[in-house]
Amino acid sequence: MSAFFQLWGREMASYFRTSIAYVVGTFFLAIAGVSFWILATHLAQGAAEGDLVANLFGSPGYWLAMLIVTPLLTMRLFAEERRMGTLEMLLTAPVTETSVVLAKFAGAYATFLLLWVPTLAFAAVLRRVGVHLPPLDWGPVAAGYLGTALVGAFFLAAGLLCSLLTRHQAVAAMVCLAALGLLLSGSLLPFYAHAESIRQVARGISAPLHMMDFAAGIVDTRTVVWYLSATVLLLFVSIRILEARRLR
Amino acid sequence: MADAERLIEVDNLVRRFPRREALAGLSFQIRRGEIAGILGPNGSGKTTTLRILATFLSPTSGRVRVAGFDTTTHSLDVRRRIGYLPENVPLYPEMRVNEFLAFRGRIKGLRGARLAARLRDVVDQCGLGDSSRRVIGTLSRGYRQRVGLADCLLHEPEVLLLDEPLAGLDPAQVRIVRDLLQGLGTGRCVLFSTHVLAEAEQLCHRVLILNEGRLAAADAPAQLVQSGEGGGFEAAFLRLTTLPPKVRNPKKRNGG
Repeated sequence: MSAFFQLWGREMASYFRTSIAYVVGTFFLAIAGVSFWILATHLAQGAAEGDLVANLFGSPGYWLAMLIVTPLLTMRLFAEERRMGTLEMLLTAPVTETSVVLAKFAGAYATFLLLWVPTLAFAAVLRRVGVHLPPLDWGPVAAGYLGTALVGAFFLAAGLLCSLLTRHQAVAAMVCLAALGLLLSGSLLPFYAHAESIRQVARGISAPLHMMDFAAGIVDTRTVVWYLSATVLLLFVSIRILEARRLR
Repeated sequence: MADAERLIEVDNLVRRFPRREALAGLSFQIRRGEIAGILGPNGSGKTTTLRILATFLSPTSGRVRVAGFDTTTHSLDVRRRIGYLPENVPLYPEMRVNEFLAFRGRIKGLRGARLAARLRDVVDQCGLGDSSRRVIGTLSRGYRQRVGLADCLLHEPEVLLLDEPLAGLDPAQVRIVRDLLQGLGTGRCVLFSTHVLAEAEQLCHRVLILNEGRLAAADAPAQLVQSGEGGGFEAAFLRLTTLPPKVRNPKKRNGG
């Protein structure tokens, strides 16, 4: 466990020592800012209060941010260590593959969650600049952040796995982007598939539909279990791939 | 040295990669107090041998024990007892030397006063005093090599495995690293690969000469020269690595 915290600390430091955290943070805040501006305009024109939460957690800007931020945060995790050769130093030190994978995931996840902290100020900023807001229902807001945390964990675990498969960061980012893009495209299946079984499966794994529920304040245990299990499965597969590397 | 504890035991080691066989039945032993060199042409299996001993790769077959532990079934126990310097000395370029060494010390289980004392010792031992606050990415090859060696020595391992520790260094740096290596054999064993025959001849109690994944010879450099057909150590090396691979001296095959 101690090695895990040491490795996690190094991961966090490497995000903030290099330009990655600042580039990703700038990009994220730019998209969030544009979404925020659109939202403020709508509210000023008398849009309903429900738009606030739905816009925060389900707008095209939200998914664009998730799609871009995930590969940017995860592409370097293993690809860079493999390219520089530092993976050899790391995996011949007395640390387990499990702690290496979990520490890298924890570093990316903590950075991802930190990106969301400034958005907590959105409602306060709107009030301060004089936009009239009805009293905010904090239930859907909390559920929206919970949904973002769950979807984010799943996306980042997928990105980490992609980073394990290559020594080129750009390739890892492209594979991750393609995989997540495909997953999000699958969310259209509930509307277009003919077979009810396909529609049901697609509904069960559709992140946009899940986020619509979360933004409405609905926390479905099945959805929570799906994201937790999928994240754990992806991390488990990553650990096994890292262990199997010794046999290659 | 014949009675000293065997810290490295390699028995009939085979390692296959998808398109080639890197090691084809390698056997040798290294004892405590010994400094041994692995020599051989490019592709002879030196790096693969060191990577297997360091647990970075698994053997395809055969048995490998380091400090009494099997590298496959007890890889963490092995890693606690080795200091491994890979070829090209991969380090995190954004970290400062002292931060990197402290990080490596902590993941190797050192804490508090012991960590601080060991950091002071290895920084002194490797001549890093003036550079300990420098960013690793700005260091020369020679200094990076010293940082890598300092990392290897931090937890006072019983076994040191060094892949080409003299490669890419200028003559002055070679001398510094050679002097450092010379002092490291006491109480542990050192196994390093090199292409610099003169350094191997000077430093090693014994050299293992590999050719096409097989042990061509395992003996003291002076013995190899003596038992040859004239010429120096270089001539002996060239003879052993250009002839079809075979065990030169069966009695010495197991590193006796």
